[in-house]
Amino acid sequence: MTKGQPINRRNFLRTGTAVSGIALAAPTLLRASSYPDRNINVVIPTREGGGADRNFRAFTSIWKEKLGTDFEPGFFPGASGRVGYEIYMGKNEPDAYNLIFGNMGPEVLNWAMQEPSFDIDDYLYFGRVDTDPGALFVGAESPLQTLDDVIAEGKKRRLNVGTSRMAHPASIGLLSLGEATGADFNLIPLSGGKNTVAGAVTGEVDFSVLTSGSVIAAGDSVKTLLVFGENRVGEALDNAPDINDAFDLDLPEMLSSRAFGIHQKAVDDYPDRFEVLTRTFKETFEDERLLTAYVEGRGTPEYLNYGGIEECAEFKAAMLELGARFKPLLTGA
Amino acid sequence: MRPDYDKSPRPIGGELVIPIVAVAFTLYFFSSIWNSPWTAQVSGFLVGGILLLVCGIFFVRCISQLMSGRASLGFGTLFSIQDITSGRVGLLITTVGYCLLIDRLGFTLTTFLFLSLSMLILSHGKRPGLIIAISAAMSLGGWAVFIWAFETRFPSGWFETTMKAVLANG
Amino acid sequence: MGETGTILVEVFFQTISYWWVIIPTIFLGLIVGGVPGFSAANTIIILMPLTLAMDLETGLIFMVSLYCAARMGAGIPAILVNIPGTAGAAATPLDGYPMTKQGRGQQALAMTFVASSLGGLLTTVIALATMPVLARVGFYMHSVEMIVVMLFGISLIASIAAQDMVKGLIAGFLGLMIGSIGTDVVYATPRATFGFLELYDGIPLIPALVGLFAVSEAFVIIEKRLIITDDARKAMATPSWHATFEGASIALKRWWHIAWTSVIGLIIGVIPGAGASIASFVAYQQSRSFSKTPEAYGTGHPEGLIAPESANNGVTSGTLVPLLVLGIPGGATAAIMLVVMQFHGVSFGPSLFENNPKVGYGMFMAMAVSYLFMMFTILPLSRYMSRVTTVPTIYLAPMIISFTLVGAFVPREYMFDMYLALAFGVLGYVARRTGYHVAAILIGVILGPLLERYFLWSLKKSDGDIMVLFSSTLGNVLWVCLALSIVLPIWFETRRKRREIVIQ
Repeated sequence: MTKGQPINRRNFLRTGTAVSGIALAAPTLLRASSYPDRNINVVIPTREGGGADRNFRAFTSIWKEKLGTDFEPGFFPGASGRVGYEIYMGKNEPDAYNLIFGNMGPEVLNWAMQEPSFDIDDYLYFGRVDTDPGALFVGAESPLQTLDDVIAEGKKRRLNVGTSRMAHPASIGLLSLGEATGADFNLIPLSGGKNTVAGAVTGEVDFSVLTSGSVIAAGDSVKTLLVFGENRVGEALDNAPDINDAFDLDLPEMLSSRAFGIHQKAVDDYPDRFEVLTRTFKETFEDERLLTAYVEGRGTPEYLNYGGIEECAEFKAAMLELGARFKPLLTGA
Repeated sequence: MRPDYDKSPRPIGGELVIPIVAVAFTLYFFSSIWNSPWTAQVSGFLVGGILLLVCGIFFVRCISQLMSGRASLGFGTLFSIQDITSGRVGLLITTVGYCLLIDRLGFTLTTFLFLSLSMLILSHGKRPGLIIAISAAMSLGGWAVFIWAFETRFPSGWFETTMKAVLANG
Repeated sequence: MGETGTILVEVFFQTISYWWVIIPTIFLGLIVGGVPGFSAANTIIILMPLTLAMDLETGLIFMVSLYCAARMGAGIPAILVNIPGTAGAAATPLDGYPMTKQGRGQQALAMTFVASSLGGLLTTVIALATMPVLARVGFYMHSVEMIVVMLFGISLIASIAAQDMVKGLIAGFLGLMIGSIGTDVVYATPRATFGFLELYDGIPLIPALVGLFAVSEAFVIIEKRLIITDDARKAMATPSWHATFEGASIALKRWWHIAWTSVIGLIIGVIPGAGASIASFVAYQQSRSFSKTPEAYGTGHPEGLIAPESANNGVTSGTLVPLLVLGIPGGATAAIMLVVMQFHGVSFGPSLFENNPKVGYGMFMAMAVSYLFMMFTILPLSRYMSRVTTVPTIYLAPMIISFTLVGAFVPREYMFDMYLALAFGVLGYVARRTGYHVAAILIGVILGPLLERYFLWSLKKSDGDIMVLFSSTLGNVLWVCLALSIVLPIWFETRRKRREIVIQ
C-alpha cells in the first residue's frame, strides 16, 4: 500500500488541481510568462485579528485585482516576529509566490538587538503600505495632564513609562525625548499594546508610549500628549504636537511601518515576476478605492504612505542605525 | 513514615528520574543565562537554586535509604513487563509515529492510521471491523471540524488536497 | 436611578427576545470550549466575518454567550477525561476527574453546570450593580499586589505536596523552572530555549496542559478496562436522572461556597491582564485553606470542583468591567469584542454609558440571560455526556491522545507544539508512575511565568530594589492575608487533632 501511494497521490493531485482549473501541469517556462498563475502566500508574523490583519485585508482587497490572483495570509506570531521570518518564510520557496507582510519598525529594530539566524539581506522589502508614528499618552485620570507636567515631573523623579517592548520605535522616541529635555525616564516593557494602554490608565506606570494606531483605538480612556513624528490625524490624537516642533529638534520620525517583503533570491531569479509585483503594488496606491477599503476596514487612511524599494531600504537602514545607537539602553547589556 | 521494614526493599530507581532531569535542566538553564542581564537571571537563579537544594535533599534521603537497605535501585515502578503486554509500549510507538508522519501523510489519513493501529494493538487484534469504523468516523469528523469548518493549518496530504478540489467544484 | 431601572428592564426583555441567537450559540460554545486549543477568542476571530456582518446587538449577544458557554464547556472534558481545554479549566480536573473515576461523573457535571451558571449569574448581577466601584480595582492592583495574588495560587503546590513534601516541591519547582523558559519580559533575553524560536514566548500553555494531564493519563488508563471503577460501572449500568439531581442539589446546598469563590473570580477578572487560570487556582487554594476537610481535596471533593468552576465563570463577567468602564480589555476575548464594537462605531471607555447606555447594560444583560438559559439547556445533557466514561479504555486512550495532540496544535498552528505536548506527556507519565504530582508541575508552568512577569515589572520600576515588594499598603495587607491563609489551616488542623486525641 505504501509503495503505490506516491503514484496515487500524484494522480489525485493532478486530477484535483486540473479540475479546479489551476494549470499546475503546465511547463515551468510557460508559467513564468503568465505570473501569477496561483495564489500568493503571505507570511504575517503577528497574531490574527490585529492591526496587521486589518491592514493586510484592506490593502490586498485592491491589490489582488491588479495582480489578478488572490492572497492567502498565514499568521505566524512569536519571538517578536522572528518565527515568521526565520522558520516559515525561511522554509518557503523563493519563487515570488511567497511574500512576508512585516513591520519594518519593531521587527527590524529587534534584529539590531539580537542578531537573527538569517542574513538580514536575505529579505528585501519592496512595498511600504503605511507609516504610523509612535505617540506618548497618559491615562484619562493621570495627574500628568500636559507635556509640561511630564517634563517637569521627570526632572524631579524617575518616571516609569510603559511601552509594548524595549526594542520598539516608540521606546527610542521616548529615550530621545529624555536626552533632549533632561527628564529621567525608566522604560517598563508591558508586553503588548493592550497592557501598555491598561498600564497608563490604571496607574501601573506614570504614562506610556505606543504606536499611535493603538492609541487612537484606545479612544477617550487615554490622552495623547506628544507624537514622535508628524500628527497626521489631528483630533484623533488630541492635536498633540510633533516632538520636533515642540522641542525644536531634528529627529527622524519613530515609525511603525508595514511593508511587503520578498526573498532576495526570488528577486534575482525571477526579475520579471518581481517587476509585476512592484508595478501592481504601485498601481494599488493610485486606485482611489484603496482609501475606501481602508476606511471600511477601520484603518487610519492618513497613515497610508507608498514607498518602493528605495524608501524601504532607507527605512531599514535608519532603524538598524537607531537600534545600534540605543542598543545598550534597550538590551541592558 | 511507613512501618514496612519487613518488606523487600522499595525500588526507587524510577523516582530518581524526575530529580535527575530537574538537575540537568536547571544546570542547562543556568548555562543559558550566565552572561545575561539581571532581568533574565534573577528568577532563574532563585527558582533553580531552590530546585537544586530540594533535589539535593532528596538524593541524600535516597542514599540513606539505599545504605540502610530499605530501598533498591530498581526501576519497577516505572517499567515492567506489563508495559509491553498491555500494549503501552506499542501505543507510545504509534504516538511518536503519529507526530512524525502527520507532516507527510496529512492530518486525516495519519489520524485514521494512528487510531486504528493503536486500538488494534491495545485490543490485541480483536474486533477489527469496529475499530476501523470508529477510526474512520473519528478522523473524518476531525477533518470536518478542524480543516473544513475551522480551516486550521493542519498538514495536508492527498486526502485533504482531494477533498479541497472536490469541494471547490461543488 | 429610575431611568437606569427602566433601561435595564427594557434591555432584559430585548435580550430574551434573542433566544434564537443565544441557544444555538450556547451549544457552539460548549463544543469549542470542550475541544482543547479552541476558545471563545479564536472562534470569534475565525467567525469574524460573520460577526461583523451581524448588527451590533446580535453580534454582541453572540460573542457574549459564546464566551460564557465556552468557559463552561472547558470543564466538561476536564472532568470526564482529564483534559482541561483551556488554562482556566486547569484546576477543574483536580477534583472533577477523581469523581468521574468513582463513577460520579454525572453528578460532577451537574455540579459544575450549577456552580458555573450560578456563579456566572451572581457575579454578573454584582458587576452590573457595582460597576463604577469594581472598575477601580485595577487602579489599586498593580504589579506588586499581583505578586501576592499569584503566590496565593502557587502556595497550592505546598498543599498538594503535603504527603511527601520533598517530592512535591521538586515537582512544583521543576514546573516553575520550565515556566521560566523563554525570553525575559524586560530585555527579551532568551533563556533555556534549546535554540527553538517557538519557545521564545515561553512554554505554550495548551500543549503543557494537555500533555501533562491528558496524554500521560491516556498511557495510564489502558491498564484498566474502563476509567471508572467496577463498582461505579455497575451503578452506571442503569442510567437515571437521579445522579443529575443529586449533583445539582450538592451544588445548591453549597450556595455560599459558590458565591464567595465566584466573587474571587470576579475581582481577579476585573484586573486587566489577570485571568481565569489565576482565579481558579486562587479560589481552589482559598477553598482548601478554609475547609474543615482539606485532606479530602484532590480525591473528588465537591468543593474542590465548585471553587474553580464558579471562580472561572466569575472571571467572565469581571473582564467586561474594565472593557466597558475604562475601555481597556481584560483578556483576549474582551479585546476582540472591542474590535467588533469599534467596527460598529461604538467607542468604549468613560463615555460609553453616557452615549450608548443600552450597549453597556446590554452586554451584562446578555451575559445574565445566557447563564440563565444555560442552566436549563445544559443540565439535562450531563446524563448523556457522562456516558463517555463507559467507553473501554482501549478505544478511549488513542482517541484522547489524537484529540489532545491536535488540540495542542490549534492555538498557534505550529507542528512544534504537537511534539511539545508529547514531550510533556512523557514527563507527566514518568511523574505519575514515580509519585510526583503532575498538578504541582502544572501550577508552576502556568503561574510561574505570570509571577515572574509581575516580579520583574516591580523590580524594574524600583530599579532593582527588592523592598518594593512591601512598598504598598494594599500589598502589605495581602501579604498578611497570604500568611494567615497558610498558617491558619495548619493551626486549625493541629487543634482538631489535639481535640480528637482528647476525645479518644
